[in-house]
Amino acid sequence: MSLLRRSSIPLLLLASTAGPVYWAFPEGLSPARSLGIVLGWAGCGLLLASLLLMLRETWLSRWLGGLERMYQWHHLVGMAAYVLLLAHPLVLAADAWPASPVLAWQTLSPFSQGWPVRLGWLSLLLLMLGLAATFATRLPHRSWRWLHVSLGVGVLVGLWHLLQLGIEEPVLPILALAALFLGWRILREDSGLAARPYIVQSATPVADGMVEIALKPLAEPIAATAGQFVLVAFFAGPTFRGCGEFHPFTVSSIGADREIRVGVKALGDCTRRIQSIEPGVLARVHGAFGTFLAERPAAPQLWLAGGIGITPFLALLRTGPLSQETTLVYLYRAEADAAFLQELRALAARDPHLSLQAVATGNEPPNLDSLLPTAGELVQHECYLCGPPGMLAAVRQSLHKRGITPRHIHFENFGFR
Amino acid sequence: MRRVYLATTLIFWLLVSAFWAGSLWLPSAEESVAVAAEKVITQSELVRHALPDNCWMAIRGKVYDVSAYLPEHPSRPDLVLPWCGKEATEAYDTKTKGRPHSAYADELLATYRIGSLATDKQ
Repeated sequence: MSLLRRSSIPLLLLASTAGPVYWAFPEGLSPARSLGIVLGWAGCGLLLASLLLMLRETWLSRWLGGLERMYQWHHLVGMAAYVLLLAHPLVLAADAWPASPVLAWQTLSPFSQGWPVRLGWLSLLLLMLGLAATFATRLPHRSWRWLHVSLGVGVLVGLWHLLQLGIEEPVLPILALAALFLGWRILREDSGLAARPYIVQSATPVADGMVEIALKPLAEPIAATAGQFVLVAFFAGPTFRGCGEFHPFTVSSIGADREIRVGVKALGDCTRRIQSIEPGVLARVHGAFGTFLAERPAAPQLWLAGGIGITPFLALLRTGPLSQETTLVYLYRAEADAAFLQELRALAARDPHLSLQAVATGNEPPNLDSLLPTAGELVQHECYLCGPPGMLAAVRQSLHKRGITPRHIHFENFGFR
Repeated sequence: MRRVYLATTLIFWLLVSAFWAGSLWLPSAEESVAVAAEKVITQSELVRHALPDNCWMAIRGKVYDVSAYLPEHPSRPDLVLPWCGKEATEAYDTKTKGRPHSAYADELLATYRIGSLATDKQ
C-alpha cells in the first residue's frame, strides 16, 4: 500500500479533529473548563470522520486503503470519540466542583438544566446503546443493524445539543456533512441505489452449509478482480424469498462474460436461507472492494486458507496458471467442509508452480508448527492469509516466529460487520 | 474494544454517581458565600460597573460581579453586555421565549454574589 493511502485516514482524522478544536479553542477560561470544551469538539470531529469511514464507495475505499481498513478505523475512531464525549461533561462538572459540589452536579444533571444539557445526555445515551449493540455479536443481524442506527441518531442529537447552546457557525456545516454521510449511506448503499442488478444463474452446493452462486449482470456489470469481495442483496425468485440485506461475499470466479460467482457460507439467519436459493432470483451487487491479492510481487508465495477463506485464492487460480512458485495450505475441519477440494487438486495437478497441501484439522486448533514451512523454506516469501480471525492471529504469530516481518504478511479476515 | 467500552462506561456512571452524591452530602455554594454577601451596594455604585471587564448586575435584589463569567456565557455578548451596571432581573427571568434561567444558572450566579442592592430608603 502506498504511503499516501496508508496516511490518508490518519490525515483525515487530524483534519476533522484539529479543525473544530482550533475554531472553538477557548481563551481566558479555567484549564478544566477549556479541556472539557476541547474534548467535546474533538469527539464531535472524530464522530464526523467515523461517519465518512462507514461509506461503501469503491472510489473512496481506493483512496482510503480498502473497505476493510476503513471499517477497522471506523470502529477505532468511533470508540475514541465515545470516550472523549463521556469525559466532556465530567470535566466540565469537575471544573465547577471547587466552587460548589452542588454547582458541579447541576452542570452535569439533565434535571436541573435546560434542553442543551438534556440533548447532550440523550446523545450520549444513544451512543451508549448503539455501541452496546455493536458488541452484542449474538444479536440477530437485523436487530443489530437497527440498534446500530441509534449511533447515527446519537450524532445528530449531539449536534442539535450544540445548536441549542447557541453555537451555529461551525455546527451547521458539520450537521450538513453528518446528514449527508448518513443519507448517502442509507440511500445509496443500504437501499441499494449504488448497486447493479444481477440475476442468479445457478447455485451449486460445494460443501456442508456452503453454496456457490453464479450471478449474471442485467445491466452494466461491476468491475471485480480476484481477491476482491462484493456486497450482495438477494431478493425474490419463483419460490425463494431472500432477506434483501447487503452482505459481503468473496468473489470465487470472474467469467469472460462478466458473470461472477460468490461463495456463501451459512453463518447467520440470512446466509442460512440463501443455501436454498434458486436460479431466477434477482440480486443487487455493489463493489467490488478489497485489495487482497492485488499488486503481488514476483517473489515465491505462501497462501494459507481456512475454510471459506479459500474463495479469493480459488478466484485467482481460476484466472489461469501462476507465474510465481506458490504453496497453498488449505485447512478445513473435515472432508465434508472442504469446498472446491476436487477442483483445487485438479488445478494443482495442471499448474507446475502450485503445490497444494490440504489438511483436515478436526475440531481442535491445528498444529501450525508442523503444518507451516520452516523458516529456511520461507526465506523471501510473501505470505497471504484468509480465514477466521482466531486462525489468522495464530498463523501470523507462527510466521513472526519464523522471521517473517509484517510487511510480507497480507491477510483478510471475516471480521467485517 | 469491548473491554474499553465496558470499562469507560462503568467509570462514567461511577463518576456521575459521585457528583450526585457530592451534591447531596457536601455544603452548597449558596451557604458558603452567603456569609460574605452582606455588603449593601447603592444604585450609583452599581452604574459605575457597566463595562465588559467590570460588569456588575443586580438581580432579584442581589448584586453580582459577573465580569469573570461573561466570556463563558453561551449567548452572544450583545445580548448580555447592555445589562452591565443595571437592574437586570427582567432580562434574567425572560431568557429564550420568556423563560427564566435554570436552577443551574441560579447556582452559578450565587458564586458571583458580592452584596445586596440598596433600596431607595438606604
